[in-house]
Amino acid sequence: MSENKIKITSFLCNWCSYGAADLAGVSRMQYPADIRVIRIPCTGRMSPKFILSALREGADAVWVSG
Amino acid sequence: MGNLLEHMGIERDRVHFSWISSAEATKFVDVVKEISDKVKGLGLNKKFVKDYN
Amino acid sequence: MNTCIKKIRELSADLLEKGEVEKVIGFAKGTIPMATSPIAIQKKQDVNKLVFNSTCGLNLANYVSKGKGKIAVVTKGCDDRNIVTHIVENQIQRDQIYIIGVPCTGMVDKPKIAALFEDEILEFSEDNDTLTVSSLLKTQTLKKQDYLKGNCFYCTHKNPVLYDVLAADLVEEQKLDNLFPDVDQIETLDEDAKWNHFENLTKNCIRCYACRNACPLCYCPTCFVDESDPQWVGKGQDKTDVNTFHFLRAFHCAGRCTDCGACVEACPMGINVRDFTRKLNKDVLQLFGWEAGLDMIKRPPLDTYRPEDPDDFIK
Repeated sequence: MSENKIKITSFLCNWCSYGAADLAGVSRMQYPADIRVIRIPCTGRMSPKFILSALREGADAVWVSG
Repeated sequence: MGNLLEHMGIERDRVHFSWISSAEATKFVDVVKEISDKVKGLGLNKKFVKDYN
Repeated sequence: MNTCIKKIRELSADLLEKGEVEKVIGFAKGTIPMATSPIAIQKKQDVNKLVFNSTCGLNLANYVSKGKGKIAVVTKGCDDRNIVTHIVENQIQRDQIYIIGVPCTGMVDKPKIAALFEDEILEFSEDNDTLTVSSLLKTQTLKKQDYLKGNCFYCTHKNPVLYDVLAADLVEEQKLDNLFPDVDQIETLDEDAKWNHFENLTKNCIRCYACRNACPLCYCPTCFVDESDPQWVGKGQDKTDVNTFHFLRAFHCAGRCTDCGACVEACPMGINVRDFTRKLNKDVLQLFGWEAGLDMIKRPPLDTYRPEDPDDFIK
């Protein structure tokens, strides 16, 4: 992994942003490949410990999207 | 969440929240670009990473 | 203060004799000077063990959720707000507890007093606003106001909010222009200075979890630090793990902390754990106009959704 390659851990809601990501994919839209997607059943599943855990394990940023 | 992390000295732009409907692929792409740019500006996360070595 | 102890003992004896409560939870004299320990009294003849003074810094609300029958508890203003929080969070029913409220004039900062002496403190006594502390080498008379614990210094809820009986007359609440000068001061620092501040704060932490155990809010059957699958936070002394523990503990107290100072009181390493929770207390007050434990009916802010809740952090 090169020095300046960033990783953004993304928690995406199954019904909202995950769908949007899927649609963006099938529509062949271009977007930065810095995100690593984790699908959660609902944004209500989020917990502060997920965010801290992601940062602790080396994510450069965390993105939560409903 | 962001408030306390910022208070502790972690940059605010390391944690993002957004609301995107499943039909909003364009918004999704815009948000990814925006976040990616912001985080590139910050550089790598060095403070809050566990050093396993 | 002595009349208040007498009243507490009388009330407890009366309650136990009538069989109204199973036990009385209060403070007893500690094994060393300037210390008290929690005690549960079940027999009427034991009530003389109960005391109350300026060294009762622990929070007795911590002990109420574990009982089955009706219990009486001696509470300061902050303990009382924690009991209200327990009731709001369904940890205990109102009719299960009998509250002996004690209007509090603040607790003393023991390490601060101990720092004045080179040798061990052998005697501690108080008379209203004056403390008399003596060791082998010297005896010193101190003004209590100068040696209050940090949280008592900024306390604006000295009187119990919910009680069945009072052990003393209500005291006057102090009015402060700024409740959070310590938080404001940290906020003026830049990012790296803030980070250093908290790194230095936690660098002595030995992960004994005394702060968690002393905290009345921490009643989860399995705490996140004890979970091993998945393991949210490492068990060792790694500084990221230590910080994760403190950050998460603070988040769990958001909108619930009454700033009772039990965590600081319990910390063997003298860490001012309140630096974490205070920031959230300030945010909750500013964003939701909420202070924990003042109302039995209102739901806490993290428990409810209102359309006018601030949401400018969401894109």
